[in-house]
Amino acid sequence: MDVPKLLTRDFRRTTLRPRHRRMVAAISEALFSRDGEPLDAAMLDEFVTDIDGFLSAASKPLRAGLMLMLEALRWLPVVVVRRFAAFEDLPIVTRTSMLERMDRSRFSPFPLMIVAFKTMLALAYFEDEGRLRAIGYPGEERKRYLLRGAA
Amino acid sequence: MRASVDVVIVGSGAGGAVVAREMARAGLSVLALEEGGYYTPEEYGKLSPSQSFRRIAREAGLNVAVGLGDTPLISALAGKAVGGSSLLTGGVIFRVPEEILHHWSTELGLGDLTPDALDPFFSEVEETVHAEIVPDAMRSRSTELFVEGAVKMGIEMKSLRRNTNGCRGASRCTFGCPNRAKMSVDISFWPDAWENGAQIWADALVEKIDVRGGRAWGVRGRFLDQETGEPRVPFEVAAKLVVVAAGALHSPLLLKKSGLDGPHVGRHMTLHPSFRVCAIFDEQVDGWDGAMQSVYSDAMMDEGITFVSAYNPANVLAAAFPGVGPPHLKLIERVPNVAVFGGMVHDDGGGQVRRWLSREPLLLYRMNPRDRARLFLGIQTLGKMAFAAGATHVLLPIFGSEPFKSEGELDFLTSNPPSAKRVESLSFHPLGSAKMATSEKRGVVKPSGETWMVDNLFVADGSVLPTSIGVNSQLPIMTMALKIARGILDDWSRIARRAA
Repeated sequence: MDVPKLLTRDFRRTTLRPRHRRMVAAISEALFSRDGEPLDAAMLDEFVTDIDGFLSAASKPLRAGLMLMLEALRWLPVVVVRRFAAFEDLPIVTRTSMLERMDRSRFSPFPLMIVAFKTMLALAYFEDEGRLRAIGYPGEERKRYLLRGAA
Repeated sequence: MRASVDVVIVGSGAGGAVVAREMARAGLSVLALEEGGYYTPEEYGKLSPSQSFRRIAREAGLNVAVGLGDTPLISALAGKAVGGSSLLTGGVIFRVPEEILHHWSTELGLGDLTPDALDPFFSEVEETVHAEIVPDAMRSRSTELFVEGAVKMGIEMKSLRRNTNGCRGASRCTFGCPNRAKMSVDISFWPDAWENGAQIWADALVEKIDVRGGRAWGVRGRFLDQETGEPRVPFEVAAKLVVVAAGALHSPLLLKKSGLDGPHVGRHMTLHPSFRVCAIFDEQVDGWDGAMQSVYSDAMMDEGITFVSAYNPANVLAAAFPGVGPPHLKLIERVPNVAVFGGMVHDDGGGQVRRWLSREPLLLYRMNPRDRARLFLGIQTLGKMAFAAGATHVLLPIFGSEPFKSEGELDFLTSNPPSAKRVESLSFHPLGSAKMATSEKRGVVKPSGETWMVDNLFVADGSVLPTSIGVNSQLPIMTMALKIARGILDDWSRIARRAA
């Protein structure tokens, strides 16, 4: 979809600090990397900026809650995968494995943390026209409505 | 900044737009105040789903009702723009079911809310918004498959009505129609109101209703800063009549902020907790081609479940699929083979709207055991429909669940269900948080829509609905607002006298 940038305005505020940006990038790689390969750094940087714009539209408490989740995710490797390292310092496959475990956990805050970020990141990541076409989405082309008159 | 008008309306969505048109047509000076921005249909029609969320949805579409006890975390979508949530609906048009109206008019004593009494109001709104049956040819293949499954199970599916004119089946109504075909209130009601002199201030946050001597005198608030989005430049509007139409999430919040915090304000909120089931087929479905919503089933209405077809843009589906990492990516590759169907629970009023740290409310929701059972039964029935239609895999809205491969695997949903906290649920119809009742002891507003607490202060949106209705709420909200507006005009001389 050809969407002009800032067709209508976003409030010009930012939420992600550098350490948050690193975390969002690390989660994105864990979610979208194939075979543990890192994502393109420039693309990832632009993507994180887009995510910053997305969540900056939310209220202060909601933004604060999401940042708190990022902080928690950062240090949860100790608990979830028994690794004494920050999340963003883990290999991509280990990060993915950690998020999978949390997604399946019976401790309800864990899957909620995953779904919060997975939903937002996947929504934005798969909005890219190239990625959509790669999974078979043809863009805005529609045919069924043409049958309406004939029916 | 100061203004003085006959009628000030807080909110410009399905309730506020209807009231504004009626008041303006009657020759009254009308000013509506909308916290969100103004986007033309051409502008919002070009927004991608994520851009739409961040610009015209509250909380960038990340708003949730926090579950108390064994209750899902429910994503609560609401609009914040001129036109309100009507920009983000699927366009589905239902009248309030007759058995609900019977309950309201007899057991709750709201005698004006009978099917016969409301019929002319329903009809008038239906004409204004161009309610039309979705033709069979506009059904997406996704919907056709679920209908095939339902027929095999003996569940009747019916064509539904939507407020559309010239739909081209883009299947993304809930992010703003790209073809100006959905007759949201910015297209159906506001042009008439504007023509008759009504005005809107956008980016105008109302923070307080002015109440003195037991009556409302106007409102005050601040315009949002264009850079930061934070409230800055103050405004005051004096008015003979104040109509609050900020929706079920914000109307009670504004009443509370204005010191009007009765025992029912912000209580009894119903959400119609919704669920969607995705199914993978061997055939190419291309479910994005066709009307986003086109059929429904009331076959299980007695059990508190309504099924309504629904599809989502491909990236929204990708975000909703279960799993993490490679399994999730593999599912996303199957998007062209995926069909989707949805349903909702006709729920009890277990929700609360509370003030807390920001100008957005804290939403709390406690699902009762009956509604929990309905939720799981509804999910199971949709899963069975999908298998009956030939699905190879079914994806349930349960965190961490694997794709299901056979009907028998779905038995646990009713025999040994998981915690409801693991269910992904959505709400598009928050209602009843400032409900109408025949006495102050039982509700917030009178049958006329005027608050029991304060004169010349009316509420005219989904928050006044006395109970859950079990169907999409757009038409009922507009109809209730129209009835309240006509009542105000009939009573205008008394209202104006009190304001003198």
